[in-house]
Amino acid sequence: MIHSATSDDDEFVLEVDHVWKIYCRNLKRAMRYGVQDLGREVFGKGRERNPSDLRPGEFCAVKDAHFQVRSGECVGMLGPNGAGKSSMLKLINGLIKPDSGSITIRGSVGAMIELGTGFNPVLSGRENVYINGSILGISKAEIDAKFDQVVEFAELGHVIDSPIMTYSTGMKMRLGFSIGANLRPKLLLIDEVLAVGDVGFRMKCFAHLRKLVEEGVCIILVTHAVAMLNRVATRSVVFDRGAIVHDGDLETGCVVYEETMGASDRVGNKAESKAQASATGVSITAVEVYDDHGDTNKEFETGQDVVVKVEISSQPNAQELNLVAALWSPVHGRIASMSSASQNVVFGVTGESKVTVTLKFKKIPLLLGAYHFNLSLYGPVSTDFHHRVTGVGHFRIVGPPTCSLGRGIDGIVKLSHQWKID
Amino acid sequence: MYRQTFLGLFWAFLPPIANTAVWIFLRQQGVFDTGEMAVNATLYILTGMILWQSFSDALQMPLKILNQNKSMISKLRFSREALIMLGLGEVFFDLAIRMLLLIPAFIWFGVSPSWAMLLAPLTIILMVLWAAGIGLLLMPIGSLYQDIGRFLQLAVPFWMIITPIIYVAPETFPGNLLVWLNPASPLLLFSRDLILVGGSSVLTPAILLGLMAVPMFMFGLAVFRISIPVLVERMST
Repeated sequence: MIHSATSDDDEFVLEVDHVWKIYCRNLKRAMRYGVQDLGREVFGKGRERNPSDLRPGEFCAVKDAHFQVRSGECVGMLGPNGAGKSSMLKLINGLIKPDSGSITIRGSVGAMIELGTGFNPVLSGRENVYINGSILGISKAEIDAKFDQVVEFAELGHVIDSPIMTYSTGMKMRLGFSIGANLRPKLLLIDEVLAVGDVGFRMKCFAHLRKLVEEGVCIILVTHAVAMLNRVATRSVVFDRGAIVHDGDLETGCVVYEETMGASDRVGNKAESKAQASATGVSITAVEVYDDHGDTNKEFETGQDVVVKVEISSQPNAQELNLVAALWSPVHGRIASMSSASQNVVFGVTGESKVTVTLKFKKIPLLLGAYHFNLSLYGPVSTDFHHRVTGVGHFRIVGPPTCSLGRGIDGIVKLSHQWKID
Repeated sequence: MYRQTFLGLFWAFLPPIANTAVWIFLRQQGVFDTGEMAVNATLYILTGMILWQSFSDALQMPLKILNQNKSMISKLRFSREALIMLGLGEVFFDLAIRMLLLIPAFIWFGVSPSWAMLLAPLTIILMVLWAAGIGLLLMPIGSLYQDIGRFLQLAVPFWMIITPIIYVAPETFPGNLLVWLNPASPLLLFSRDLILVGGSSVLTPAILLGLMAVPMFMFGLAVFRISIPVLVERMST
């Protein structure tokens, strides 16, 4: 159920209350269920359903989503493809209805989902500004008043009387963004549209969005461009397979998002690690991450010590073993690789015993993000493969914040450096 | 509507002219018996064709509008009823343009209009609303199952044949079932009678259907409104 409410106090602008959305991937069944659902709606039986009571072929695209957004907040909605972000945005925008739960919105909603939707290609830019504006609920008088502003923001004054079909994709998106940006809703929904135009125009868009937030508009931003988020977002909500796995500060949200990106890798790699287990009987049996106090930990700050302990067991005796550790980021891929042999640490395991190998990173220089290891065991020569495990030893760097605005450090690693003026 | 065409409004005139020409030719060849017509056969068939074209346009309009604007409907939040109003506007615009054809035809065949003709706009509006109402009820299922669209393409020409447009409506059983059981007939024939002769033999079914036209359209609009979120979930754009 989607409610509209009016309120002038500092209450939530948006309240998503335990919302579920059910879809069906099978085309024929989806059509059949569609007819059933239509029948229920037309005969006034409503569409509230028990989410645990799924029909064959159905799945939950949004599972028990629950969050609120206050005036002047800009929330970045993150998650891998198919995590439920766009469905959530459609639910908030009222394009589709929840199957269970409710959404309450206090104030008007504006949306920028796929810019340029609704443009008529044979009409001029000028005519399309008026048509698109009226579709979005702006009166002609309002458009008259804002027309010059819209055209100036889009930087399209020289072609505004040419048909839209003669515009480039970037020009169409600029015009679409400019029309949407000149709306003044209480809640603005933006889906993957921040790749508008060139860098200069993009920065102008961010500046405009920041101004809207300062004016009290609340914005929900869906994007995969995590690095761009901290230009405008103040909070993040991360979706993974339909459920919210993080609701809170942006930095942690970005890290959790990276982890969710790697989650599918990890699932795949379990099978891989089994497949690559060698018949030699020497194997990696446990991997744990510790802090410098000797406690198991998964969250660190840049510059802290990170200790990885790898337990290795062997059925027969094994000598001159070499452990190779590759450090991975789900987003950036392989960051570094190191072998124990490179520091002359080769070791043996006597039959049916265990050995623990410690890999210590002093003052780890990694910046915000999620990381894990892929470990391989070789020896005595590099072609003697024993065992490989992937996606193990997960840890996160959760602080200090990075800055992509050019006023701090950013990237994967913090390099020791010094600036000076000669 | 016709901006990206070379012939422009000619495309609005073409269907009734072409259809009328074919049927008049066939009639002159004696291929079929049209019955005794109250006015000149060309004028009779042309008027019927113009009205049928509007009935058929209005019937197919909701599904056409939905398919044409899928991307907008699934991405933008706006009053979707506006699309139906736009569709109706197009149907009425085309109808008005085609009606202009009747002016030279009336003059050419020396038919003088009766006062009853002034009632025709009302019955034509009711006919269009009735057809659009049927179209609106078919639209939700038609959006899920393309069978409906395909069926309409197949059924509309056949439906035209069983509607007394190119021949005079039979008044005796079982021929009169073409009027009583055919939802396209009563308002269409009544409107044509008002335009051409002033009185009509299909008064009773026309009044019955005329009374149902507005409620039917409103019911169709309500179903359309309720069904859109269900359809958007299943739309591929």
